[in-house]
Amino acid sequence: MAFDFPPLGHGVGLRPAHFGAVLEGRERAEWYEVISENFMLRGGRPLAVLDRVRAEAPVALHGVSLALGSTEPLDEDYLAALAALAQRIEPAWVSDHLCWGRFGNHYAHDLLPLPYTEEALAHVVERVRRVQDRLGRRLVLENVSSYVAFRHSTMPEWTFLAAVAAAADCGILLDVNNIYVSAVNHGFSPVAYLEGLPPDRICEIHLAGHSDHGTHLLDTHDQSVPPPVWDLYRLAVRRFGRVPTLVEWDDRIPPFADLLAESARARAIEAEEHDAAARPA
Amino acid sequence: MPPLALRDLQARFWEALARAPGAFAPEAAAPELLAAIEPSATLDPAGRLAIYAQAYFWRIREALRADYPRTAALLGDTGFDALVRAYLARHPSTHPSLREVGRRLPEFLATGWEAPAPPFLVDLARLEWARVEVFDAPDASPLTAAALRAVPADAWPDLRLAPVPACEVVRAAWPVHALWAGADEVAPAPTVLRVWRQGWAVYHAPMDATEAAAFARLCAGAPFAAVCEVFADLPPEAAAAEAGALLARWIADELLVLAG
Repeated sequence: MAFDFPPLGHGVGLRPAHFGAVLEGRERAEWYEVISENFMLRGGRPLAVLDRVRAEAPVALHGVSLALGSTEPLDEDYLAALAALAQRIEPAWVSDHLCWGRFGNHYAHDLLPLPYTEEALAHVVERVRRVQDRLGRRLVLENVSSYVAFRHSTMPEWTFLAAVAAAADCGILLDVNNIYVSAVNHGFSPVAYLEGLPPDRICEIHLAGHSDHGTHLLDTHDQSVPPPVWDLYRLAVRRFGRVPTLVEWDDRIPPFADLLAESARARAIEAEEHDAAARPA
Repeated sequence: MPPLALRDLQARFWEALARAPGAFAPEAAAPELLAAIEPSATLDPAGRLAIYAQAYFWRIREALRADYPRTAALLGDTGFDALVRAYLARHPSTHPSLREVGRRLPEFLATGWEAPAPPFLVDLARLEWARVEVFDAPDASPLTAAALRAVPADAWPDLRLAPVPACEVVRAAWPVHALWAGADEVAPAPTVLRVWRQGWAVYHAPMDATEAAAFARLCAGAPFAAVCEVFADLPPEAAAAEAGALLARWIADELLVLAG
């Protein structure tokens, strides 16, 4: 099965701190990703900025509140708002996370971990299908950082993610930092994770920084991409080829030029791996 | 013990986050949830669950701090933490966007919070929420001076103007704009503020009694002649001059559209 998602190259997450710099237009990324919920607004500056950015570059919508793994019914108002935003922005694609975050009509505003069981698998697959039908487009699903693992999981996370993608016919957003964070927190092999995923479904790669709390790594997006995450990115490029890649930075946000420098580093690593693969052995 | 069904696991997990926000106690977590969590090399199940409990509280606290920066500053870190703990226990988020999480904070400060707090805090919080509402209110093309000049003289008395959607009026018993500007204490004084958006930025300004009365009439849909009646106790020339000056100020602030 082929995905017709466009080869966007190297992008960055668009955050309000950089609205001014992006509109100024002296430096730009090849594409941008925005947090969908932050633009489900009636008016004002964020939407105006998004419209202008979208006029000049591809934009992907990245949600945090779809709560695909939640056992509450899907939030129809949310889906309507997402559909309306997608119609306005014509995004390159729409993504959200493999997690849950809603219970009893309440939102945790967090990406909470699922047990990797047959029950959860069937539940998530059915909901991904319903969302795809509602939006009239394929969804792209991202692996999350997690701090809790459940004893009754019957398969590793990567097997679960691959099975959801295959059964629901959706794409995968591979967050390399999240793989690394979870691998350290749970003691699994990040390489096994990469090897367990189907190359033909990887639509996007995320890069970000995390912080070390001694007892665990926390997915904070508040610093530059650390060396082990770059190493894992290199492996991901080797395995999955050229995949649209995006740097996220959400806290202690640096100047826009520094963010673009991270993105340029990802581009350089991708080029090195591409050249190495092209050289005769 | 059979494994927890997905629904039951989520119920107990949510309870661990939300029952006592910001004050997670391992002994309060459901034993069957703790039993379902695999320990890591460094953390027991409760220690791992605590990461989520803490993140839940911190993330929403920071969203509320961004919406209510002066309320947070005046309460101090300890006081604001206590407010957020109590607020979140009573009003967990019901909206997919954090944009909405602070909607009921002024109401909670007024009626639900039992801790001693400065009496002006409710009005200050109402001003801060009005600023949030105005920030992303629907866009509009404000009425310009040029457009007004095109109104024929005989159409003025019946002319109906309306505020732009990105405009709110806050009526307070305290001069909360002074608190917003940095004061730590104020004396009570009836205050009416207009909060509006101009060039994507949010502003607020106190209105004197006459401006407040005129703006209230305008917002209620009164024709321009009725709006101007607030100057009825002035000689006709002075009243016309005052009304003209007020209208010019509103137009310069991009506050108005034509009604209807």
